[in-house]
Amino acid sequence: MVQYFQDIYSAVSSALVGMTITIKHIWKKPVTLQFPDERQVMPQRFRGFVHNDTTKCDACNICAKLCPVDCIYIETEGKGKDRYMTRYAIDYNKCIWCSLCTENCHTGSITMSHDYDHAVYDRRSLVYEFMDPTEGKVPCHRATRIELGWWVEPKEDKSDGDKGAES
Amino acid sequence: MGGMSDQGLHVTGAALMATLMFTVMALCAIVFTWMERKVAGFIQSRYGPMYTGRWQGWAQAVADMLKILGKEDIIPAQADKGLFVFAPILVLLGSLLAWAAIPWSPGFIAADLDLGLFYIFAVSSMVVIGILMAGWASNNKWALYGAARGAAQMVSYEIPLALATIPVILNVGSLNTQDIVIAQQGGMFNWFVFHDPFLFIAFWMYFIASIAETNRGPFDMPETESELVAGYHTEYTGMRFAFFFLAEYANLFLVAIIASVVFLGGWWAPIPGLDFAPALTLVIKGVLLVFLNMWVRWTLPRVRVDQLMHLCWKVMIPVTLLCIVGSGLWMILSGELG
Repeated sequence: MVQYFQDIYSAVSSALVGMTITIKHIWKKPVTLQFPDERQVMPQRFRGFVHNDTTKCDACNICAKLCPVDCIYIETEGKGKDRYMTRYAIDYNKCIWCSLCTENCHTGSITMSHDYDHAVYDRRSLVYEFMDPTEGKVPCHRATRIELGWWVEPKEDKSDGDKGAES
Repeated sequence: MGGMSDQGLHVTGAALMATLMFTVMALCAIVFTWMERKVAGFIQSRYGPMYTGRWQGWAQAVADMLKILGKEDIIPAQADKGLFVFAPILVLLGSLLAWAAIPWSPGFIAADLDLGLFYIFAVSSMVVIGILMAGWASNNKWALYGAARGAAQMVSYEIPLALATIPVILNVGSLNTQDIVIAQQGGMFNWFVFHDPFLFIAFWMYFIASIAETNRGPFDMPETESELVAGYHTEYTGMRFAFFFLAEYANLFLVAIIASVVFLGGWWAPIPGLDFAPALTLVIKGVLLVFLNMWVRWTLPRVRVDQLMHLCWKVMIPVTLLCIVGSGLWMILSGELG
C-alpha cells in the first residue's frame, strides 16, 4: 500500500520535473541553422572548394604539376611576354582537397575557400571554369576574374585560426 | 423571417450551426497541426515549419491538407469495403455531434440540452466504434492491434473522464452545460477548479483521462508508430485519412473546451467585468489547454499497455471516486446544501 502511494508520488513529481525542463527550452533560441539562408562559419583553415583568383594567376603551371590527381587544367597560348592563359579549370570530381596547390602557389592566387555545399545534379557541373571562355585571349597577369555565383567570400574570423571550429 | 414556419427556422438554424461547427473543426485541424509542429519544434530547440507562408510557416498545415486531398484513394483488395468507407465518417460524426452541446457564449449554443454533458460523453463514445471498425475493416494486423488497443484504452478512460465531472454536477445540480457555466460566474475563484481541493484533483484527473481519450502521447498506444506503423489508420490514404486527422484534432480541442466549460468557468473571464468577448474567452482557455496537452505530449515518453491500464483502473478510478465523495462531504460541511 505504501508502495502504491510512493509510485503515484514519483510519477507526478518526475512528470513535473520533465515538464519544467521542456518548458525552459521553449524560450531558448533554437539551435537550427536555416541552411540555404544562413551558413555555418567555417574554421579559418577549412578546406572548401579551391578558388583561383585569375587576376593574380600567372599560369606558371606549378599547381597543375603538383596536383596528385591531375584535376587542374591550364591552357596557355604564346611564349615569353606574349603568353596568355586561355583556360583555368578545376575538376572537383577528382579533387581530393589535399591543399598542395594552395601551399605552393607563389602568387597566392589559388586558395581554399569556405564553400562546402558540393552537391550538384550533374557531375559535369563539378568542373569549374575560372576563365570566361567568351573573352578569349586575356593577358595572364591581367585576366579578369569571373564572378561565379557559387563563390562565397570567406567570412572574417575574429577568433584565432584553429578555434574557429567552436563558433 | 415572417414567411418561414417555426420548423423551417429550426431546420435552417440547425443546418447553419452544423456548418459552423464543421468549419470550427476544420480550422482546429489546420491551426493545431501547425501549432503542434511549432510547439514540438521549440521544445526540442528547433524552429518547426518556417518557409510555407513566410511568417513562421503558418501555411504549412494548409499546404499539407491540399496535398493530402490530392492523394490517391486506396481501398485494400482484402478489406471490408463497406466498413472501411464508413469508419472514418463515424469517427468524424462522433466528434462533430459532441460540438452541438458546447455553450460558446450566453445563449449561443447549438443544442441547449438538459442532459448536455451526458450527451457529449454519450456521442463521443461513437469514436471508439469508428476506430474499432477502421481497424477491423482494414484486414491488417497492425491496424487490428491498434484498434483493439484504442478500444480498450478509450472505453477504460471514459470512466474516469465522466467520473471526474460528477463532483461538478453535484455542485451545480444540473447536466445542462449552460447551467454549469452560469454557476461559475464572478471571477476565477468561483471556477470549479478552485472550488475545493477535491475538484482541483478532479480537474487534473479529467485532463489526464482526456489525453488518453484523444489517443495522444504519452498514451498514444493505438498509433504507436514504432511498433504499429500507424495503428488503426495504417491502410487509410487521402481524404479518408484526412477524416481521421480532422477528428483527432477536433477531439483534442473538444476535450479542452469541455474542460474549460466544466472546470475553468466557460465563457467567464478570470476577472469579473472583463466578459466582453465570451466566445473568445472560451476559445483562449481551450487553446491554452491544448498547449498544455502538447507540452505533455512532447515531454513524457509513451507508457506500456499494462501501465496504461494500471493507471486507469487502479489509480484514476479510485481517485475520482474519492473526489466525488470528498466533494460531496465538502458541500455538506461548508453548508452549501443549505
